[in-house]
Amino acid sequence: MKEMLRLILTLLVICLIAGVLLAFVNQRTAAPIAAAARAAKTAAISAVLPEYDNDPGSTAYTNEVNGTPWVFYVARKNGQFAGAAFESLSSEGYGGDIRVMVGVTSKGKMHGIQILKAMETPGLGAKIAEDDFRSQFVDKDIEATNWAVKKDKGSIDQITAATISSRAVVNAIQSGLEIYKQHREEISKTGSEG
Amino acid sequence: MRFWNEFIKGLWKENPIFRLVLGMCPALAVTTSVENSLGMGVAATFVLVCSNIVISSIRHLIPAKVRIPCFIVVIATFVTIVDLLMNGYANELHKSLGLFIPLIVVNCIILGRAEAFASKHPIFLSIADGLGMGLGFTLGLTILGAFREILGEGSITIWGDIGFQVGGMQPMVLMILAPGGFIALGILLGFMNHLQAMSAKKRGGSFEPPAHLDCRHCTICKFGS
Repeated sequence: MKEMLRLILTLLVICLIAGVLLAFVNQRTAAPIAAAARAAKTAAISAVLPEYDNDPGSTAYTNEVNGTPWVFYVARKNGQFAGAAFESLSSEGYGGDIRVMVGVTSKGKMHGIQILKAMETPGLGAKIAEDDFRSQFVDKDIEATNWAVKKDKGSIDQITAATISSRAVVNAIQSGLEIYKQHREEISKTGSEG
Repeated sequence: MRFWNEFIKGLWKENPIFRLVLGMCPALAVTTSVENSLGMGVAATFVLVCSNIVISSIRHLIPAKVRIPCFIVVIATFVTIVDLLMNGYANELHKSLGLFIPLIVVNCIILGRAEAFASKHPIFLSIADGLGMGLGFTLGLTILGAFREILGEGSITIWGDIGFQVGGMQPMVLMILAPGGFIALGILLGFMNHLQAMSAKKRGGSFEPPAHLDCRHCTICKFGS
């Protein structure tokens, strides 16, 4: 009985100390972690948006579709609607979810995409994050483009030996564009004065 | 002198990867590039030294029956601290190492050193052991990583600068994928054994491949007997 008490107490004390230590470190690193996440997001947003002079990170239009919130970061230049960026997700990748940041201009053209998170196969599917693949989306008309890979009779070049990854990216873009098209009016007014 | 001996043994004689063949999960999984290997090695070394210090300093206070849970709590605490610090201050590295940081908790080397060394030796020597084993682990990972990255990518890239490029070859993507880890480890292990056999022959002795490519340092399975 006495021995058992000693065992319990030893573990309890060690866990207590560990808990206090972790709480302290967690508190100290919470701000840098949040800042790093914010910086990564801001970098992705500004990389896909046309020129702007507002703060798209805090000018956002949110709409909930089927329980999923869609956030559109609105870029404005001289008070005029310049474009919008949104984050979209596809779970049809080869290695888990693929998250894409998509930028659209006010003229209904794509401005660029960034891969935020992907765990595709290195050397094959991971090429979706490379310029060669991403640059083909620039200036594509969001209405006139057939949003599917060429293998599926669409107009996007898939990566050789990585059709699944390419298809997932295109699907993510397409599902986001659908929402964007439906709410273009509201999005373009977000952040305008008056 | 003892400090030096405990330190140096981890680099070659008891190198965790090539001699003890411990910690194979991270050794195969993260060595797709030199950068990842270095990051993983440094993180594991930090945890190893910290856990060795703490476990060595409380070794007389821990009852034998609950020592494993105590070690795990200490190790897990340091791993979480590394995870949080890396997330906040080295975000890019954190992204590429991802899941493998939390997995340091179950890295056999760290628990193995706690059990086989730190719980039986004073702090000073435990630091030497932790540093040596950690550096040996980092060295092993980096060699594996360099081998795989050169063959699989045709170049070595560290923090965005191309450090080394091999011209005129088609990268073997296989070497970066999971099978490449096994192939590279097998080739390097064979090469190391060959080197040892050569040097033993020179000295007139004979070389036997290590019969102890197993968990000889870890006594967990003897626990309770």
